[in-house]
Amino acid sequence: MATISTALRHFKEPTKDQLTQIYFSIPPAPQTIGAPVNPQDEVEKMDINAVLSLGIAGEEDSYAGKLYIMPPYLAFASLDRKSVRFTIPLCTIRRVERLNARAGIYALSLATWHGVKIIVQLTSLRPTADLFCSLLRDALKVELQRGQMKAVKPFVKTCYSEVIAAAGSTGPTENEREDGSLINERESGSDSDAVYHGGLGLKYKFPGDAKKLREASKVKLWTSYLQTHGRNLTLLRYPQCTRLVQVGLPNRLRGEMWETLSGSIYLRFANPGYYEKLLVENAGTVTTSTEEIEKDLHRSLPEYAGYQHEDGINSLRRVLQAYSFKNPELGYCQAMNILAAAILIYMSEEQAFWLLEVLCDRLLPGYYAPSMHGTLLDQRVFESLVQRCLPMIHDHFQEVDVQLSVASLPWFLSLFINSMPMVFAFRIVDCFFCMGPKVLFQVGFKAILKINGEKLLKIQDDGGFLNLMREYFSNLGESAHPDSSDTRARAITRFQELLLVSFREFSVITDEMIQSERRKYRGEIIHSIESFSRRSAVRNLKTLGRFTKEQAGLIYDALYRAMCMAPPPPAAPPPPTLVNSGDGGAERIETRIGLKTFKIFLSEIATWARDEKIVMNGFQQRIDRDVAEHEFIDRLFYFWDTSCRGALSLQDLVLGLDGVMFNDLMENIEWFFNIHDKNKDGFLTKDEVLTLSETFLFIFRFEVGDAYLGAVSRFMTNAFEYGDTLLPERGESGPNGEPLSPQTISPNQPYLNLATFRMVVLADEVLESFYETDLSASFKLELMPDLDLPALPANGLLGDIWSTIATDTNKKMFHAFTDEIGKTIGKHQVIHRPSIGRYTTLEEPKARESLVTPAMRHSTSKSSLRESSSTSPTLGSSSTTTLASAKSTSSTTLLPSDTGNTSTSTSETSLLSTSTSIGSSGGPHSPPPPPASSISPSTSPSVPRIVQVANAALMERTPFAIDDAKDDEDESEDDFDDADEDLDDDDQVMDEVDAFLEAHDSGLTDADRQVAKDLLRAEPVK
Amino acid sequence: MADTAAGSVDKSVQVKLVLLGEAAVGKSSVVSRFVSNEFQPNKEPTIGAAFLTQKCRLEDRVLRYEIWDTAGQERFHSLAPMYYRNAQAAVVVYDVTKASSLEKAKSWVKELQRQANPNIVIALAGNKIDLVQLSGSSSTGQTASESEDEADDATATPGETTTSGVDPESLRQVPREEAQAYATEAGLLFFETSAKTGEGIVEIFTEIAKKIPIEHILAAARGTGRPGAAGGRAGASGQESSVNLDGDANKPKDACNC
Repeated sequence: MATISTALRHFKEPTKDQLTQIYFSIPPAPQTIGAPVNPQDEVEKMDINAVLSLGIAGEEDSYAGKLYIMPPYLAFASLDRKSVRFTIPLCTIRRVERLNARAGIYALSLATWHGVKIIVQLTSLRPTADLFCSLLRDALKVELQRGQMKAVKPFVKTCYSEVIAAAGSTGPTENEREDGSLINERESGSDSDAVYHGGLGLKYKFPGDAKKLREASKVKLWTSYLQTHGRNLTLLRYPQCTRLVQVGLPNRLRGEMWETLSGSIYLRFANPGYYEKLLVENAGTVTTSTEEIEKDLHRSLPEYAGYQHEDGINSLRRVLQAYSFKNPELGYCQAMNILAAAILIYMSEEQAFWLLEVLCDRLLPGYYAPSMHGTLLDQRVFESLVQRCLPMIHDHFQEVDVQLSVASLPWFLSLFINSMPMVFAFRIVDCFFCMGPKVLFQVGFKAILKINGEKLLKIQDDGGFLNLMREYFSNLGESAHPDSSDTRARAITRFQELLLVSFREFSVITDEMIQSERRKYRGEIIHSIESFSRRSAVRNLKTLGRFTKEQAGLIYDALYRAMCMAPPPPAAPPPPTLVNSGDGGAERIETRIGLKTFKIFLSEIATWARDEKIVMNGFQQRIDRDVAEHEFIDRLFYFWDTSCRGALSLQDLVLGLDGVMFNDLMENIEWFFNIHDKNKDGFLTKDEVLTLSETFLFIFRFEVGDAYLGAVSRFMTNAFEYGDTLLPERGESGPNGEPLSPQTISPNQPYLNLATFRMVVLADEVLESFYETDLSASFKLELMPDLDLPALPANGLLGDIWSTIATDTNKKMFHAFTDEIGKTIGKHQVIHRPSIGRYTTLEEPKARESLVTPAMRHSTSKSSLRESSSTSPTLGSSSTTTLASAKSTSSTTLLPSDTGNTSTSTSETSLLSTSTSIGSSGGPHSPPPPPASSISPSTSPSVPRIVQVANAALMERTPFAIDDAKDDEDESEDDFDDADEDLDDDDQVMDEVDAFLEAHDSGLTDADRQVAKDLLRAEPVK
Repeated sequence: MADTAAGSVDKSVQVKLVLLGEAAVGKSSVVSRFVSNEFQPNKEPTIGAAFLTQKCRLEDRVLRYEIWDTAGQERFHSLAPMYYRNAQAAVVVYDVTKASSLEKAKSWVKELQRQANPNIVIALAGNKIDLVQLSGSSSTGQTASESEDEADDATATPGETTTSGVDPESLRQVPREEAQAYATEAGLLFFETSAKTGEGIVEIFTEIAKKIPIEHILAAARGTGRPGAAGGRAGASGQESSVNLDGDANKPKDACNC
């Protein structure tokens, strides 16, 4: 763990806009790498209430929902957000007409590339509808200009669904096996029609028994769905679509449906040729990731035939490498190889690449990141959901000290692919891409439940738990009701039951719930990751010097804060050296900071490396802290860079500080001397003496009075005096008290040695005390309040409001604002805080004198240190800490007389007064506080319900759902009774499909429905 | 040695053992060689951790190893504490053909010594020695041929290369002496192993078994009466076994009749 990352600090909750985009799987704007984005082309986004009907009478219900225009996409979601939705690129819309309907009804007819007609009735007010239409028109125009319309045809050809829909064939064609793989690979290569993308399965067969999987029936159902509801880019997702997915996708169509359902198809569409280009540009590049990938290539689904051949391995290598080039920060994480290997069975490399992108970026955010924070977070969320829904099991696990994640972590990381037989895992993956990450939670839940409380409540340790789960997963193919007299019931496998019950009973686990749980635990997880890496960074130090572990931890904290503010370039492996380092092995990658970050780091530790101004303006007193710039700091940087890399590691910093913080008088003098002795010959040149004096002036720059100034000037006089005296060849010229003229001694000549320097220093009381104690003491390992770094996402409501108000810019604006007022009323006052602050003897205005004496500062720092150790390592992350320490600061350092203001405003901390003033002045930057209900109601009302459901399920076996569902809807079976032979199969598929039937609320009244129906017959307006 | 002693369940002492080490050094292979005496060349990387058990008879005692085989990739590191907490033994594996893997092993040892159970028994295993041995000498008499190899190393290497194409010993990046010296210094058991040939595998677990303070574990299990307390993860049958062993403790010679 030699690398330190601050990436987690910069996490931002997605905005509402982004959430909508995510929901519709619309690629974020910067993702359109291929096409240059012209700001003028940007068309506004808008959403509008609408009723959607499919242009074929009787085929589907009409649904009320929201229509979104998010150029270059048009999207729709029904009110319940799950029954009906679509996301279609604008360039696939071939025709838009306004329909001539009843008065007061505003309806559009859209024809897509695939000849599917959609009717949307805009139910908002007339002006809103007009605005929407004009936006739509503009956006379509832009797409036309970009030439995107032409891109559709070649792209669509790469999709297998076109072949299916065109042929309309049911059985396998001559060149296909029953499972959909090709009988003769070469033939398809030469076949000009077969340009569609496909995976290794085409050549090496698909896993599972095609007959058992009822491929033919599934293909038939999909064919008819795709013909009427559009496909690939223009797919409309009606309830039937989701149900067909839940039954399991047919092999041949699986890859394409995955990319359509997950939305990775839009990325592939928007970035043609990107994948190949990426590979070409990075050909031959070797990184840590490529090395790690190499290790795992032969260890990814090794039992699958395709990965026993070079072409399978090569595909896998290219896809994983391409992703690591695309996202070097993430690189490669084990488990990605398993995912990639799995999806490559069904999709082409390019398809797999983009799907991987969507997986890592959107569907499983942070799962594979170097810190794996997403994985840890979701494990925590899972645990908390178990605690809420299955308290009995949770309590038992607590009691026997079993951690849920020992079993569930691999489920989430590899989407169950190596936890259960592949055929079943793929069906979960189908649902995952269709319905999102909540599927993992639902299935995980069900899996746990299914083991049935009784068994789980008997386990005594992790091992027992794992064995139980393993046994359950390996028997998924067996009948769920082997003893049932009903043949149908006997035919139901445990897996079918698992899936069904997962979705039925745990449909209460929604994306929103997961989101809000994630919000709740994110801070905790980040904190534990940070403290883990802090611990291991300190542990991995080769030496702590004279520091204790705690002090080294504080150095780490300062480094971490500095890195938050000025992130160093990503850690890179050290340049190859000819000489092998002493420890015999290749060196590990280490985080090193450059000069810029170092300056901030030092300003955290050394009092003289920061400019602190105490600003009082009648409203508030605050400390403005800036990083100081001086040659001395640069010098120190290079002085500590003992391995001459131009960058410092944590170890360098620890050793560097060790070299000064424990020094006594003599050691300090020597240390100071050495820093200024550039060529290390034991002599300072005359120039170096001058530089050294400048360093003094820099360090003493804010000292009150002229004691220090006097000391420096005495030092210079004495130094030159002694220096001249001791010059061997000029010794006889006699000490005349005047520095010799520069011409006589070359500036580079050795001039002052250490002994002389020491003598000169010790001649002065002020300098002596500086070296005796003050220099070492000016380095302080403590936490400073009032840090401007992105705070940890705070828990709860207060944190949310706080983080929205207390942004950097707001704070700055507020400061500037109050400063201005302070100036006008004559209360503005700025005082530099001294770095040493020992000699304040000379007469100065009273106000300054009483500012910060060392003793007072000491007490402040102590208190802040104490607090910090008891709460979090970084101050400013929790508002109470800041408040308390800031209060103590103000109580010790405030001058009651200086502002004459009421005590309330002065005793407030600067931070607090910021927020209160902003709030009271009703500034434009303070958003209305989100209703207190925003977090709790989304989760809490459902809790009792989940618990109820869960407990019910726990206590009694649920009757199998097909039995109930059978009567719900039988008419759809009628469509498929043509082929006698397939009838039974089709029946079974349909049974399964029906089992997934849920109540879909179209959100319409009968009258509305009638209107929608009428629209199907309406004529376009001229 | 490795023996599933049926019927002796009650008498077994449970030992939690964790495997750590860099990715692809062969942790899972070591375990599967020990547990099922199998070797599978292309094993899928472990995600999170795998869990296996194996019984082991040592003199008059039966040990039941509960083995946690962890993921090796650096980013899984932060999960490791979940698996090594309360472990009584650890096997830290490195790859003799990869110098960096020993460095990683050292850092694991350091972490274990500071963060894990204070009485943890740690073994260091340099795996894949089959790669640095002459082919044909791998199945039998490894110890002899190995020491020969090493004796030859300094002198006869140039001559050897002509016969077998590439001298396997040249693949070795971690000299046995270096690792041995480190292990001695850090107080670890040390072995060079090959999961492929089986060499040295059983020895690791036997030596660990000898070194484990079994009485301590039993006492802890007895003392708390509840598995899960510090060092007392005697596990499922903890209570039963403690009762039985209690009785046996007086005349240990009779304890094992199997």
